[in-house]
Amino acid sequence: MTDKDDALDPIIDILREPAGLRADLTDRVMSEIERLPRPELDADGPVRWWRRRWTVRLSPLHGLGLAAALAALVFAVRLTGRPAAPTAPVAAGRTVTQFVLIAPGADSVTVVGDFNDWNVAATPLERSGGVWSVAVPLGPGRYRYAFVVNGAIWQRDPEAPAADDEFGRANSVVTVGGRGL
Amino acid sequence: MRMLRLSMVPAVLLVAASVARAQEPRLAGRVPDAARIQVDAILTAARTRGLPVEPLVDRALEGAAKGAAPALIVAAVTRLRDELAVVRGAFGEAASAAELTAGASALRAGATAAALSRLRLARSGRPLTVAAAVMADLVAAGVPADTAVGAVLALASDADDSDYLTFRRNVQRDIAQGAAPSAALAIRIRAAVSNADAAASPEIGATTPGVTRKRKP
Repeated sequence: MTDKDDALDPIIDILREPAGLRADLTDRVMSEIERLPRPELDADGPVRWWRRRWTVRLSPLHGLGLAAALAALVFAVRLTGRPAAPTAPVAAGRTVTQFVLIAPGADSVTVVGDFNDWNVAATPLERSGGVWSVAVPLGPGRYRYAFVVNGAIWQRDPEAPAADDEFGRANSVVTVGGRGL
Repeated sequence: MRMLRLSMVPAVLLVAASVARAQEPRLAGRVPDAARIQVDAILTAARTRGLPVEPLVDRALEGAAKGAAPALIVAAVTRLRDELAVVRGAFGEAASAAELTAGASALRAGATAAALSRLRLARSGRPLTVAAAVMADLVAAGVPADTAVGAVLALASDADDSDYLTFRRNVQRDIAQGAAPSAALAIRIRAAVSNADAAASPEIGATTPGVTRKRKP
């Protein structure tokens, strides 16, 4: 403890004393608040405009027209909002396999393989930008396949293992597991 | 004489009907006639032997779609028929067409009939399609045939189809990222075995009767 500390003690004691407030302070503050205007209720602004009541008068003909327009709107929304036609249910033991080829310059792409009798027209891929794809349900097994671009160009899947080929055009292979794989 | 001729009519019709029934309708109009007649004969013989004809038809249609010469189509179908017969000898009479087809792929990739028989024994009562297909896939990815066969057999007793597919996918990914095929396979096999050892180790102090050894490649 120093002399300097001893000199500060009386000041500290004074500061520790509770401040003396007038007893009617709270009442005076509240009365001032009450006197202030209430803009959201009394002012003539946007809030009041939204609360104003409107009266709409329609002839029977206009009413029918409005009802028809609403019905058309609901119908249109339902039509455009309908999910895509459900895909055919996948038979038990089959796994949906996605075939994808990136071919931005192609006009058409189909996939041929052991699952569609190597029929060039049987399984066309759908285009989304430069990406062509189709989903095919397959049972467990090992399937050889290839893509046919523009109806004439045979191309193996660059993302899949190559398969043996005896006919001079490269194949790819996909192996599908059983039991929900 | 006339009666004799008349009596032969039903027999001729019967033979014609049986020939027509023996012809595979999917080949008509797609496979060249020169090949189709022989392929039909192969299919008939395959049916008689209890072999699946679907993969044979697929092979003929593949050749036709690719514009192969008739002789090439017949040779390809004949070769596949022989492979299916060998695989059936290894997998047994109850093997499905998918199992036989996958087994034929493995056989062509370099697996021996003896290796396929071992696979059948190791996976008794379980499907062989994916295991055999993974053999062929690994070889197609560049793994030497005997190494691929050894890996599939090493996993045969415990792995299920999803394990095999995951294992193959991992090996292929490693190879795609630059690993040597044999090295990639060795690493993945080692990981599978160590995972299996970890899974098979019961907790200290715990008694776990019936714990099965389960490899996770």
